[in-house]
This record gives sequence, C-alpha cells and structure tokens, in this order.
Amino acid sequence: MAKSDGGIHILQGLLVFGNVVIGMCGIALTAECIFFVSDPSGLYPLLEATENDDIYAAAWIGIFVGFALFALSVLGIIGVIKSNRTLLLVYIILMLITYAFEMASCITAATHRDFLTPNLFMKQMLEMYMKSETDNNNDKWMTEGVTKTWDKLMLRNQCCGVRGPSDWQEYTSAFRATHSDSDFPWPHNCCVMDARGSPINLDGCKLGVPGYYNSNGCYDAISGPMNTHAWGVAWFGFAILCWTFCVLLGTMFYWSKIEY
Amino acid sequence: MCSLWVALVFCCLGQLCADRSLKPQIAVPQLATNNPTLTTVALEKPFCMFDNSLYPNKSYVIYLYAMKESASAINSLVTDDSSKPLESTFQQTSGGQLGPYKAALFNVPSCASPPKLADVGDVNKVADVLKQYLFRVGDDGTCLYDPNFLSLCNPPLAPNTTYRFKYVLVDSTEGIMKDQSLWSDPIKTRRVKLPLQIDTWPGRRSGGMIVITSILSVLVFLLLAGFLASVFSAVMGPEDSSAETRHMSQTLQQSEPKPQLSSE
Repeated sequence: MAKSDGGIHILQGLLVFGNVVIGMCGIALTAECIFFVSDPSGLYPLLEATENDDIYAAAWIGIFVGFALFALSVLGIIGVIKSNRTLLLVYIILMLITYAFEMASCITAATHRDFLTPNLFMKQMLEMYMKSETDNNNDKWMTEGVTKTWDKLMLRNQCCGVRGPSDWQEYTSAFRATHSDSDFPWPHNCCVMDARGSPINLDGCKLGVPGYYNSNGCYDAISGPMNTHAWGVAWFGFAILCWTFCVLLGTMFYWSKIEY
Repeated sequence: MCSLWVALVFCCLGQLCADRSLKPQIAVPQLATNNPTLTTVALEKPFCMFDNSLYPNKSYVIYLYAMKESASAINSLVTDDSSKPLESTFQQTSGGQLGPYKAALFNVPSCASPPKLADVGDVNKVADVLKQYLFRVGDDGTCLYDPNFLSLCNPPLAPNTTYRFKYVLVDSTEGIMKDQSLWSDPIKTRRVKLPLQIDTWPGRRSGGMIVITSILSVLVFLLLAGFLASVFSAVMGPEDSSAETRHMSQTLQQSEPKPQLSSE
C-alpha cells in the first residue's frame, strides 16, 4: 500500500506541475494573441481586402482559449489535490472542449497562411491601390485601407511594388487608369524622398536612375510580420496542445483510479 | 556603388567622344533602367554626331522627329523640296502613323565637354546631367489637351508600338536642314498584361500545416479514446465492487446470529 500511495503522490505531483505549466502557457498564449490582434505592423487592411483574414480569427480564438486554459488549470490543481472525482470530471470535459477550440485555431492559422502568396498581394495592389471608382461602401472602405497601407509600407520600408517597381510597368492597374505612365511610371512613394516627403529628383525617379527610386519589392516587409503571426499562433498552440495531451491522459488515468 | 559609377563614366565618356554610328541611340540602360516604358522612350542626345557639319560662326539647332515604324512605308521624309524641315505635329500625323512628327527642339549638345554621368550620384547635379545627356520622348501628358499650349508638344507614345527616331541639324537663321542622322533602330514601347491574368492559387500545402493537422488529429483521437476508456472503467469498476460489498454484507449478516445462539 505504501508503494501505491507513493505512486499516487508522484502522479498527483506531476499533474499539479503539468497544470501549472498549462496555466502559464495559457497566459502567454493570451498575451501573444492580443499582441497579434493589435496589428503592430498595420497590415490588417491588406488581409481584410483579400477577404481572407482568418489568421486573425485564429488569434482571436487564441485569446479566449489561453484564458480558459489558465482557469481550467486552476480547477485542475484543486481537483487533483482534493482528489475530488466530480471536479476532475468537469475539468476533463471542459479541457476537451478547450482542446478542440485550440486545435481549430492552430489548423486555421497554419492553413490560411498558405494562401498569402506574393501573387495575391500583387493582384490586390494592382486592382485596388488608388482605385477611383468604387462600387459600394464596402469596396470604398477596402480600397482606402489598401491605399493607405501601401503608402505607409512604401515610405516606411523604402520599397516599391510586391516584387519590385517593374510590377507597375508590367501590368495595367487601377492606378494606371488615373495616373498616366509618362508622369507616374510608378507611384511617387516609390521615389527616394527628402526630409519633407517629396522626391529628391522626380525625373531621376521616373527614368529609374539608381539611387532615386526604391528598386526592391515590399513582399519581405509584408510576409515577415504575417509569418510571425501565423506561425506564432500555430506552433505555440501546437506545443501547448502536445503538453496538454499528456496532462489530460494522466488526469484521466488518475480519475479512474481514485474512489468515490 | 562607386565602381559602378566609375565603369559608367569610362564606358559612356568613351562612347560619347568616339565617332558614333549616325543613329539616335537609346539612353544607356545602366543610367535609365526604366526605359522604354509604356508610353515614353528616353534617347541619348546626339553627341559628336554632326561635328563635321558645324561651321564656327553660325547657330544651329537640333530637331528630333519620331514616327511609327509602320509609317516608313507611307512617308519618311523629314524635309520638303527646298530642304526645309517639316513642321508636322503629333495630331497632324495621328501620333506618327502617317509620317514623322517633330517631337523636340534643342541646342546642339557639346561634344568637347559632355556631361559627366558619374555626377548623377550627386543630388545637386543630377537634374543638369539628365537634361544635358538625354531627352525623354513622350514626357508631356497634358499638352495635347491644353488649348493654350502653343509650343512643341511631345505627347505620350502608344503602348506596344515600334517607333523610329531621327535627329536633324538645322541652321537656325536660314531655317534649312544641314545634316540629318539615319533613322534609329526600331524601339518598341512596353506591353502590359491584365491583373486578371495573375494566378493567385497557392499551390502545394506547406509542410508545417500538414504536420500540425495530422498530429493534432491523432492526439484528439487518442484523448477521446482515453476518455471513453476511463469512463468505461469507472462505470465497470463500481459495479464489480458493489457486487463484492453486497456479497460481503450478506456473509456478515449470516455470520452475526451464530455467536448469539452459542452464547445462549
């Protein structure tokens, strides 16, 4: 009996430790997802316009799942220490539901990241940047969002287009409809700017003289934060779920061994 | 960056000072990377091209004529019978379709002191260098629609069209052509594609997504199986123990009356 008592105590200790880790990871997940939802890099309008902003949905789910994990871990610790069958049964059932939600969040984040390709952003940029005739309010809202985001992106990162300024020359665009090629081979935000925010030499920029226009593409500046966002939600959630799996199995085993 | 400018200087100074072929050339691609665009072409000015025809005490001016390559079959003369250069405009020739039109007029570029292309790196000098070195055909987008515009109109060219250009040296006092270059090689403006043609299909799934989905699915299955197993064992367990306790209480009840009988 002493040996099984010792074994039960070891199992209890492990479960309490497991639940403590789950609680801390839950808080960390909530904090990380709040950070991503707050959109520090300002790229949300681009995703909103593609109508594929599900990596944000995954982060929203992550906020609530993280908090639920914390609350349930406290419940689990109390249940294990008191060896209370009812508490532990409630804990297991609620944990399974939370597990399912977190799994949905991870898979959503990982799957929808795959859709964010350079071609998607290039097509959106060409069709929406500085589009003058919008069909309805929703279209107008998305167009304004895309235009403002691209202007900010080009100025802040000193880049032009998705792959390079040649995007504007190779394809026709909504921008081209209102801005003639001879005055604007590419948007003026692609030019190297002086301190006051005007191009240092407009002719140099239009001709493509090196040093007077930004020759690199903006895709790195877009994909960097989006990758961090998607992989942060997906892989951290995955790690939490692997750990929670072990703790839950241990709890089920412990629950089946304690007597009423 | 420095070495690029040095190479540019040697290359271009050498080209400018040596004898040129008598054709207008497109501006060097290292300098003007965006050339030709959809509606513009930047041409190098005729350095040292007409030096043999220049007399010291006369003033000269250079005319630039442009025409679509398809017009060379119709008419490619830039002067009339008395060697006077044509005053055809963009509108009169339907944008160069019916014959050459006069696109520009500028002073003879200096052969002895050409612009230093390395100065393009200097923000203060770049405007002058570009103005002296090249001329951009199709630069003016508004002159065609401005009724008050009276001087020479240089409107944007048509996309996806081949053009040819010619420089003509004109004596400004007599107004007579003194020399002309050959027609340039055909230069084609860019062609554009529609954004509808861009394929946004992401292609293959990434490896990470497949790992996450498959492993999580397996884990959820194992959890549900474990939960059912523990519930099952919890339901089965009390039934066995309750059967045992009933059996034990029955034997206890049976064994209790015996000591009473023996005591009496």
